[in-house]
Amino acid sequence: MDWYPVFLKEILHFRRKLLKLGYIFSAMVIPIIYLVAFGLGLGRRVNVGGMDYLSFLIPGLVAMSSMNNSYSWVASSLTLNRLYFKTFQIFIQAPIRPSAIMAGEVLAGMAKGLFASSLIIIVGFVASDHFSISCFFVITLLLNCFLFANLGVIIGMRAKSHEDTSTYSNFLIMPMAFFSGTFFPVDKIPLVLKAVVYIMPLTHTNIAIRKPVPDVESCISFGLLLIYSLVFFIYGSRLIREYNE
Amino acid sequence: MIEITNLTKTYRNVCAVDDVSFTIRQGEVFGLLGPNGAGKTTTIKVLTTLSKPDAGHCKVKGYDVVLERESIKKLIGVVPQENNLDRELTAYENLRIYGMLHHVADCENKISDHLKMVDLRDRKNTAVAEFSGGMQRRLLLARSLLSQPEVLFLDEPSIGLDPQIRRHLWDVIRKTGIEGRTVVITTHYIEEAEALCHRVGILNRGKLIALDTPQNLKNGLGEYTVEFIDEKGKLIQTICRNRDEAHDKARNYSGSVTIRKTNMEDVFINLTGERI
Repeated sequence: MDWYPVFLKEILHFRRKLLKLGYIFSAMVIPIIYLVAFGLGLGRRVNVGGMDYLSFLIPGLVAMSSMNNSYSWVASSLTLNRLYFKTFQIFIQAPIRPSAIMAGEVLAGMAKGLFASSLIIIVGFVASDHFSISCFFVITLLLNCFLFANLGVIIGMRAKSHEDTSTYSNFLIMPMAFFSGTFFPVDKIPLVLKAVVYIMPLTHTNIAIRKPVPDVESCISFGLLLIYSLVFFIYGSRLIREYNE
Repeated sequence: MIEITNLTKTYRNVCAVDDVSFTIRQGEVFGLLGPNGAGKTTTIKVLTTLSKPDAGHCKVKGYDVVLERESIKKLIGVVPQENNLDRELTAYENLRIYGMLHHVADCENKISDHLKMVDLRDRKNTAVAEFSGGMQRRLLLARSLLSQPEVLFLDEPSIGLDPQIRRHLWDVIRKTGIEGRTVVITTHYIEEAEALCHRVGILNRGKLIALDTPQNLKNGLGEYTVEFIDEKGKLIQTICRNRDEAHDKARNYSGSVTIRKTNMEDVFINLTGERI
C-alpha cells in the first residue's frame, strides 16, 4: 500500500478541482464539440461498415478522452510538482519503492481519465440510441487509462520545463487523437501511413473498444496495449529510481 | 554518524562541491556556513538522496547515499530550502500524507503533538496557501520531525523569517538537538550558526575552508575586533588577541571606534575576504 499516499495526494487535488464547475466543463467541451461537429453534423450522411457514424464515433471519443485526461493530468502535475513546487521530492525522499510512486501516480491518472471518459459515455447514451458498452469495452478503457497515465509519468519525469509537456503533447497525443481511428477507420488509409498508425497505442484501443465481443484482431490489439503498458510502467519506474538533481 | 569523503558534484561545468571531506558526530548540531552558491544545499541534496555525487563517497549511519538510499530514507527528516509543502492541501493533509509515506505509527496523535509543538494546532484544517511564510516554515519543521528521524537536515530553515519567529524556530531546533538527534543545518545567518551549532564547517565556492567549534574558530582569529569608519566611509576592522591589544589599537584611530568580541562573520571575512 505504499502507493496509496501518492495516489491520495493527487486525488485530494482532483477533488478540489471537481468542486469547480470549470473543470467538468473543460473535460467535456472538446469531445462534445467533436461529437456535435462530426457526429451530428457531418456524420448524419455517413455509414461506417454498416453502422451509423455516431455509433462508430462515440467509442473513439471515449478512448480519446481517456487518453487525453489520463496523460495530460499526470504529465502536467508531475512536471509542475517536480520542477516548480518541489512536492515530488517528498516522494523521492520517502522510504518507498520507485514502483510504488509510479503506481500511485498512474492510478491517480487513471481515476482522472475514467472520470472524464465516463462523462463522454453519459453523453453518448443521450446522443445515440445504438451506443452500448460491454465488459471488454470497460476493460479496454481501463487499460487505455493505465497506458496513457504511464506515458504521462514518463513525460512528467523527462520534461525540462512545463512548456515541454505541451511539445510532447503536440508530437505524441495530437497525432494519435486524429490518426488512430477515432474519427475514421484506419483500414483504408495508404500503406505507408498504416505502419505508423499501427504503432500508435490509441489505434489498438480503438480497435478493441469497438468490438462488443473479443475476436482475434481485438485480442492482438489488447495484447499490444498490455505490452506497451508494461514497458511504460517499467521505464517510468526506472526514471523515478534514477532521479538525480 | 555522517561521513563525507572527497565529495564532488558538478552542474554544467560549474563545480558546486569540490573534493569536500568531513565527518559529523552522533548527536551533534552541525552547521554548514557559507554564502549563496557555496555548495551547502548541494551537499544536503547528496546526503538526503536527491542528488548523486559525481565523485567521492557519503555515508549516513554507515549507509552509502548511492547504494543504500532506501535505508537512509528511513533515518532522515528534511526541511528543504524551498518550501515544498502542498499549498492546496491543509496542514493536516500535508502531515498525514507525509506520515503515511514514512510509515509513522500512531500518526493522528503525532500530527496533533507536532502541530502543537509549532503552534499550529488551531490551523490544522487551513490550506497551507493561507499560511504566512513563518507558519509554513514551522509546518515544514513539524513535518520533518513527524517520522522521528535520527538525522535532521535543515536547509536554511529560518530564511525570510522575522526575528521573533526565528528564535522560536531555534528553540525547537535546540530541543531536537537535546533529544539526541544529529542535526545538520545550513545557513548564511552567522548568528544562527553561533546560537545553534556545536561545530561549524565553512564552505566557500565549493571548498571546505574551515571546520571547528564556533568558539575555536573565533579564538583562532583573536578574541576582540576593533572597528572604525575612515574618512572615505569605509569600515576598517582589526582583529586583536586580547582586550589590551584592542585598546592599544583603538587609541591609534580618531573618530568613533568600536571594540567588540570577534564573531563568526569576522572569521568568515578573514578566511574568504568576502562578506557572507
